[in-house]
Amino acid sequence: MVEVLSEPAGRGSYSGALLEVEDLHVEFHTRQGVAKAVNGVTYSVNPGETLAVLGESGSGKSVTAQTIMGILDMPPGRIAGGQIRFRGVDILKLPEDQRRRIRGEGIAMVFQDALSALNPVFPVGWQIAEMFRIHRGSSRSDAKKKAVELMDRVRIPGARDRVNDFPHQFSGGMRQRIMIAMAIALDPEILIADEPTTALDVTVQAQIMGLLAELQRDSNMGLILITHDLGVVADVADKIAVMYGGRIVETAPVHDLYANPAHPYSKGLLESIPRVDLKGQELYAIKGMPPNLLDMPSGCAFHPRCPYRREDCATAVPPLYPISGSRGSACHYWREVVDGSR
Amino acid sequence: MGRYTIRRLLQLIPVLLGTTFLINYMVWQLPGDPFAGRCGQRPCPDSYVSAMRSQFGLDQPILVQYWQFLKNMLTGNLGVDFNQVPVATQLGDAWPITIRLALLAVAIEAVIGISAGVLSGLKRGGFIDNVVTISTLFLLSLPVFVTGFLLQWLLGVQFQVITPTVSDEAPIMELIVPAFVLASLNMAFTARLTRTSIVENRRSDYVRTAIAKGLTNRRVVGVHLLRNSLIPVLTFLGTEVGSLMSGAIITEGIFNIHGIGGLLYRAITGQDYTIVVPIASLLVLVYLVSNLLVDLLYGVLDPRIRYE
Repeated sequence: MVEVLSEPAGRGSYSGALLEVEDLHVEFHTRQGVAKAVNGVTYSVNPGETLAVLGESGSGKSVTAQTIMGILDMPPGRIAGGQIRFRGVDILKLPEDQRRRIRGEGIAMVFQDALSALNPVFPVGWQIAEMFRIHRGSSRSDAKKKAVELMDRVRIPGARDRVNDFPHQFSGGMRQRIMIAMAIALDPEILIADEPTTALDVTVQAQIMGLLAELQRDSNMGLILITHDLGVVADVADKIAVMYGGRIVETAPVHDLYANPAHPYSKGLLESIPRVDLKGQELYAIKGMPPNLLDMPSGCAFHPRCPYRREDCATAVPPLYPISGSRGSACHYWREVVDGSR
Repeated sequence: MGRYTIRRLLQLIPVLLGTTFLINYMVWQLPGDPFAGRCGQRPCPDSYVSAMRSQFGLDQPILVQYWQFLKNMLTGNLGVDFNQVPVATQLGDAWPITIRLALLAVAIEAVIGISAGVLSGLKRGGFIDNVVTISTLFLLSLPVFVTGFLLQWLLGVQFQVITPTVSDEAPIMELIVPAFVLASLNMAFTARLTRTSIVENRRSDYVRTAIAKGLTNRRVVGVHLLRNSLIPVLTFLGTEVGSLMSGAIITEGIFNIHGIGGLLYRAITGQDYTIVVPIASLLVLVYLVSNLLVDLLYGVLDPRIRYE
């Protein structure tokens, strides 16, 4: 559930959520100006919970994740405000050495393209074993043994024989499994998966999502699943945060959002999924282009593309209106959206 | 990789035959009679010239001469030069000195070039980066003989921290400054290549992964980034070993080092081709072998490379 919506957590107070992102602002200083990539994002994840962060490219979903992970390129990136609390401690204020220890041990990340994310010149087993050698001070042989166990755990066939192979010798799905094995090596409490299946075949996608869900069940870790694929989300996520233009525009338990979206953008996303029963009809597409981060539309960032827009949408930035329980929508006219009148 | 190596070695044979034939042929085609100026002010008597011509087989057709050359090279019989001094002893004295100089130069190139490149690449636009960019530009635009004479005059004559010329045995300590001069161009190039490579790889996904793994900055840079960034640099250094040896002519001349370069230089000006030909042929061999080694090294450094 998304506590901060129903009862905004006061600064510094530890509400009990494992990871809390609060009012995060991230901007990029470029030659053309300041690009505001993340504008006040708030979400939280509990142990064993899966939060799906949904949005198109440029919506700020990956930048938020990179900020949590501490792998944002700074400069040009800059954290302009907000907190990221891991077990109640604002990790943005921690010295780099303590921050580093959290990476891998507390929060780990799986990237989209495992071929480029794995180091091409080191054997995969070596790369997994490095986690144990650096964080736990294990010996080479112990670490390698654990690497084989992990490769077994993510079900890489013949792990023992393949531990010395290089990333390019594996298929895409197997590489992503290695990436996952590396991320879960130290039993992190939070796993961030940034579009983990985007680069894979559909059948392999399902296997990888199944693997992530299974690993999560076994270890009770919190999972942040970043994706633009609504199909991936439905089966595994507990709650969804839909991002647009660097803000969360809708947040809801997964089934509520699918049943009845409360923001025109989420609604547009759902309607643009191809459906078998509507075969032959023209596919719905949200009109217009994603917002330019250097020159955000005034008011609600979605208003130029929105079928529900009124005059005040161009002037007043909609807050995240609480709807019920953990649901919230950043639309002045969310009632109309929910009612389905257009 | 074994088959690949054998095939590459076999490929060396026609290249060696072709180049050595050209060297033999061209050298005797050069204008000027090598025997005409050997008798002081007067032209040499015909009897001397014809005796020399027959001793060195110059009265034979070129193919016969070449066959003779091949036989001599393969049996290790290099014969004597025009002054009847054995060529083998001259080469034997000179090679070790040049090899020492070249290896020292490669070491200087690698250590200084790579460190400068890494430091400037990591802090792009910073103070060190600017210093490295300017000083490498400086080195690249100066011809080697200018750098050589400048350092010789500055360090050897003005400040007298080194001996301006190197003694006959060419000990390592005296070779440091000449090796630096010999290395200067490649060192600047190495620094720039390393910098580019570091800058390119620093933003790569696998470096981001290494940071996300919670590795120390030192390990991210020293292991993950460096290991990838040095692949092109090491291959460059390898291919340049051959050209360093032939490039030593100028440096050896300036510092009076009795290496291959000096020997070759004196032989060319004295038109003593009995020395020019074997040295040139050996340089070709060094170049070919170092290239082959680099190609093999590339496969060791980058596991994605496959030989077929």
